[in-house]
Amino acid sequence: MSWNRVAVVGAGLIKFGELFEQSYEQMAAGAFQAAVGSVDRGFEPSQVDAAFVATQRGTLWGQEGIGGNTVPTAIGLAGIPCTRIENACPSGSDAFRVGAMAVASGVHDVVLVIGVEKMRDKSTEEGLLSRAASGHPIFTRGETAPVLFAPFATRHMHEYGTTREMLASVAVKNHYNGARDPFAHFQNEITVDDVLASPPVCHPLHLLDCCPQTDGAAATLLVSAERAAEFTDRPVFVAGFGVATDHPYLHEKTTFTALKATTAAAERAYKMAGVEPAQIDCAEVHDCFTITEILDIEDLGFVEKGKGGVASLDGETSLQGRIPVNTSGGLLAKGHPIGASGVAQLTECWWQLRGDAGERQVEMRNGYALQHNVGGRGSGVSVVNILTTNA
Amino acid sequence: MTTPVRILSVGAAAPDLRLPASEVAAAWDRSGSGGARGQTALCGPDEDVLTLAAAAAGRALDASGLQHDIVDGLWWGTTRPPFAEGPSHAVLAAALGLSSHSAGALCSGSPHAGMDALLGAADAVAAGTARVALVVAADALVPGTGTGYEARAGAAAAAMVLVSEEQGSAALTARVTRTQPVLDRYRGDREATTRDLYDSRLFREEIFMPIVREVGEQLAAFDVRAWSLPDPDGRLGAAVAKKLGVGTPASTTAYAAVGDTGAAAPLLGGVGALDAAGTVAIVGFGGGRATGVAITADAPVRGAARVADALAGGRPVSYTEALRARGQLTAAGETIPMGVPPESASFVRGADEILGLLGARCVDCGTINTPPSIHPHCISCGSTKFELVPMARRGVVHTFVVNHTMPAPFVAPLPLAVIDLADGARVMLQVTGRGDGLEIGTPVELVLRRYAYERGVPVYGFKAHAKTTAPSERPS
Repeated sequence: MSWNRVAVVGAGLIKFGELFEQSYEQMAAGAFQAAVGSVDRGFEPSQVDAAFVATQRGTLWGQEGIGGNTVPTAIGLAGIPCTRIENACPSGSDAFRVGAMAVASGVHDVVLVIGVEKMRDKSTEEGLLSRAASGHPIFTRGETAPVLFAPFATRHMHEYGTTREMLASVAVKNHYNGARDPFAHFQNEITVDDVLASPPVCHPLHLLDCCPQTDGAAATLLVSAERAAEFTDRPVFVAGFGVATDHPYLHEKTTFTALKATTAAAERAYKMAGVEPAQIDCAEVHDCFTITEILDIEDLGFVEKGKGGVASLDGETSLQGRIPVNTSGGLLAKGHPIGASGVAQLTECWWQLRGDAGERQVEMRNGYALQHNVGGRGSGVSVVNILTTNA
Repeated sequence: MTTPVRILSVGAAAPDLRLPASEVAAAWDRSGSGGARGQTALCGPDEDVLTLAAAAAGRALDASGLQHDIVDGLWWGTTRPPFAEGPSHAVLAAALGLSSHSAGALCSGSPHAGMDALLGAADAVAAGTARVALVVAADALVPGTGTGYEARAGAAAAAMVLVSEEQGSAALTARVTRTQPVLDRYRGDREATTRDLYDSRLFREEIFMPIVREVGEQLAAFDVRAWSLPDPDGRLGAAVAKKLGVGTPASTTAYAAVGDTGAAAPLLGGVGALDAAGTVAIVGFGGGRATGVAITADAPVRGAARVADALAGGRPVSYTEALRARGQLTAAGETIPMGVPPESASFVRGADEILGLLGARCVDCGTINTPPSIHPHCISCGSTKFELVPMARRGVVHTFVVNHTMPAPFVAPLPLAVIDLADGARVMLQVTGRGDGLEIGTPVELVLRRYAYERGVPVYGFKAHAKTTAPSERPS
């Protein structure tokens, strides 16, 4: 594979939360300005050659026909090429991958990747929960988002002895990290008992096993590596990426203890980057539910299959652990504005690699950070991006 | 010369819910009255006359040993079909796996509809236009709240497989009908609930007793071993039996278990009595008509011995739960509509595969892909060569959840499970009940249920029914 190296020279996000007071366009502008402001040597917005915008569900705020063309006007760049990427929960990470390919191919020199999602403009019943009535009239009826992951928890507990306490330890760890992230939706610490005592949402998952509904936006600026020095002397490079699909419906799955899309996407990303899982210094992974992070750290090769629960309980994924995971607070504490989530994860990786993560900073031994999303009905698609400081 | 009409097998079904009469009495502060005895069966929120009919007819067909697709016609009697106008009969036929060439009729409009269905099927067999006729009588009566009828209105279904050849162990030997153009229990056009009797003495003396007694006396000329007699109020059944000079009717058991089941009642009260040789007299009444049929068995009829079990047990419910189940108590506000309206193209494309629970078996590797319409290529090997097959109706839970968080019209808790069927297919379906006791490995059978009701359209599909749910209790 022959491709031009791609550098990330700017990244930023707005404070995640229930942003009733902000429009989609205002959120987009806030994220763009944060990314522009993060560029070490300054960045003139007119330098953007093209933009890729990730918004997964315009329907959640009444904009069914949302396209890529709303963002350029909102950020003062009407006229630039702009394409919307929708690829389920990995929409943001896939927009980043596509943006990186646009630079790697030489077609564009400076690319904006921006994720924006309004999750709270509609009521919960009319918003996310309404998917219980969508899809196939029989095979998916009643299938809210937790139904897509809770069957994996039931089966993981059955096959590997994973306990609710192990699941809870993921939420406790991510809230601990979120309490140290000024951009997180939730910045409070919680206990295992809090998780266990929270109301059932979808057995065996309870409220604090689930990520919140969060509005947010995040942006990154990608340039060809040969031009990186114009913008920074601390560039971060795209080391590799992978995307993979799996059968989207749950009854099509052959296993309920792994997400095959994640494994396949990770294999491609590791191969492209030329690294092994053990070389990853920190990772932002898709923790829409506690069980998802347990599956992720197994499927990404950080821990042996079946040991994700024990590893979480033992602190292997904490800030001081062997492989720190979701230092930003993850989707569980930072929030999950779907199209923005992947881009925000990449921003956290960018900060960690540059040593800018403050209280959350973990040790960078090899100079690699991994970002991962999985989703799409029953985890039908996954994207993995690997960033590095190694030239 | 007509062909003899023989009965090959029978079946019955009742919903799981039971409303004790004491609950109705307490709700209307009738604790002082003496009418608070007994119970009735009622449909859960995902059941109706069609799902009951499918269950009873499925049992009769299973007992017959016949392939479902050789049935020549379906005669279905129900007071109130699920569509006021619409494909009620076609949906039931598809859900039963009958051939698209099958004929028959939907009889409705009064509780006499069950007898109409039986006679229609018998006539078709006698005339030679059907060799195998499926009869099902099903009702789920919706009484006006606060009426005296409320503590009596039940739900159940009974079915018979009629054949022309000498294979059944019983035969229809006599029939008699009388009509009288008067009102008994009725429902006017655009009315939601069935009205109670205008005057119980008037009904007894001038309407019910004369016509039912006359029909009964005609049948009494045969050597009747057991009777199924109409019992609209809990007393008239015994009263007419006394007039006829016969003992306690066999139908008493069914009435005690599930109440007055309208169009289903006459067959339901008689099919269980076909578990021994002899003549069973079945009398149905309603809509100003009474019909009696004599069935003479040379030996026990297939399926008859299992009728009592089908009606026994059940879970007692409170009055408010009964109101919610009958749709007579609903929360204010709008419900979440289906992603695609139930009269739209996706339901036309998916009708056969959903109602027939069809899978596409890969000719090359044997994998069953479901639903077929979204799998033009085999999920395992990529082949495009398939044969459509009905999937197994039994399996075990591979994994499951219990969803507690859904907007109306969903009702929590809602269990959903990934099921490994006996034929190797894997499906994900809702599970009946609340999910209590559900575990990985729990055996289930698939049963037809109403998944949704929207824009006047009931949407049917199969759900998993766990065989090890909490043990049924009889109401105290």
